[in-house]
Amino acid sequence: MVQEAAISKINFPIAGFSLYLCVVLGLMALEDRFGAISFGFIAGIVLDFSPSSDSPFGKWALILTIIGYLFSRNRESIGDFTERPMAFVLLVTAGATISLIIFLIIGLILGENNGSILNNLKTIFGNGIWTLLFSSILLPIIVKLRSLTLTSRERI
Amino acid sequence: MAVGGNNRSRLLLVILLVTSLFLITLDLRGVNITSSSRSATQSFLAPIQRGVSDLFSPVGGFFSDIKNFGTTKSELKELKEENAKLREKVILNDDTLGQLKKLESVLDLAGRGNYKVVSARVIGKGSSATFSQTITIDAGSSDGVFKDMTVIGELGLVGVVKSTTSTSAIVLLMSDPTFRIGVRIARSQSIGVLLGEGDSEYTLQLLDPSGTIEKDDVLLSLGSDNNKPFVPGVPVGFVKSVKNSRLTLTQEAVVSSYSNLGSIGVVSVIISSKNGGPKDALIPTPRPTPTKTIYVTAPPMVDTATTTGSEENN
Repeated sequence: MVQEAAISKINFPIAGFSLYLCVVLGLMALEDRFGAISFGFIAGIVLDFSPSSDSPFGKWALILTIIGYLFSRNRESIGDFTERPMAFVLLVTAGATISLIIFLIIGLILGENNGSILNNLKTIFGNGIWTLLFSSILLPIIVKLRSLTLTSRERI
Repeated sequence: MAVGGNNRSRLLLVILLVTSLFLITLDLRGVNITSSSRSATQSFLAPIQRGVSDLFSPVGGFFSDIKNFGTTKSELKELKEENAKLREKVILNDDTLGQLKKLESVLDLAGRGNYKVVSARVIGKGSSATFSQTITIDAGSSDGVFKDMTVIGELGLVGVVKSTTSTSAIVLLMSDPTFRIGVRIARSQSIGVLLGEGDSEYTLQLLDPSGTIEKDDVLLSLGSDNNKPFVPGVPVGFVKSVKNSRLTLTQEAVVSSYSNLGSIGVVSVIISSKNGGPKDALIPTPRPTPTKTIYVTAPPMVDTATTTGSEENN
């Protein structure tokens, strides 16, 4: 809602920024293998409910489930995010970029018209740059908010 | 234990992937449940979205305004606090005045075209992550707005209504890559198709093989059966440059739209059009520049002979 009513209305240079993807990928990266896949699917379904979305229902669920799986596969090799914040930011940026690329590939398979390649590359590049910039501000907040929701047992 | 966990997550992955593919298949086969669920979400979100939009309305031009903040010094701090409330008020007033000005222009265009319209505010814009170009407006089926109605801005076409709820509607902008509209060149009356390209430029494909396109040609909407989705005679754009390619059968051109879709605040949805549309009445004409006419009048000629004579008589 904030994405469509506020963020999308700002004319960002190059291309827009997806706050939703940034927050979802940040939370997804903090989950374990089982949690990342389930969280990806649920977040995708929520995005599919977006009335402005023109893509078939279930497309974002498919994309974010795949991203959840990719995150869960690489999560353990990266280590603790609180000690390596840059790795966390880069993982989220890469996740946002890959999810847009998968979106386009699935669109091509389904025969959707997503406009010119140059324009799409500009959107992916712009979104990547803004995600990189904003995630370095947003992700520490997300980590703190998530730690507040954990029980003392889960924290250990 | 780890092997068990891996198997469990793999099983979950497979189940969720199959579920996603099943949902996509359902949607592509036209099962109604997905569209109604999106419509229900829109009905629920529209009032909240309107409130959030009002709150964030002045931040649209954030990046263009940011360069003006460079001169702020420590001495301005006190003044800033003092003027904070006033500034907020001024920004909101400017925003309201800006919207009012746009509304006047939109209504002016609608009035000249004899269109019956419903005006609406833009309360949301589709995320760039979906690669589709849409806006959400605060008028819906309860205001007489329905699917496939033409949407105009202050200078011309903006898009077409894609879906509606009782209080809001989603408009597919003319810049969307899936957008197509039949157009007529005002000068030659040749017809063609205008294609959205995902940015501020559009492609015109002429349907008439013998027709020609010239730079600055004005394009008007051709119209559809029962005025749905497009009413005829709405200014769409003008030809920016003509493509010279021998590979295509018909001529193509690059077109710029009259409406600036990047800073759109108020739009009008055309409910009906009287007398088959305005024909060519809405062709934008450049406003004539006022010319100053100076009349040079000669000073009255003095008849020296008469004057001399009268002086002598005196």
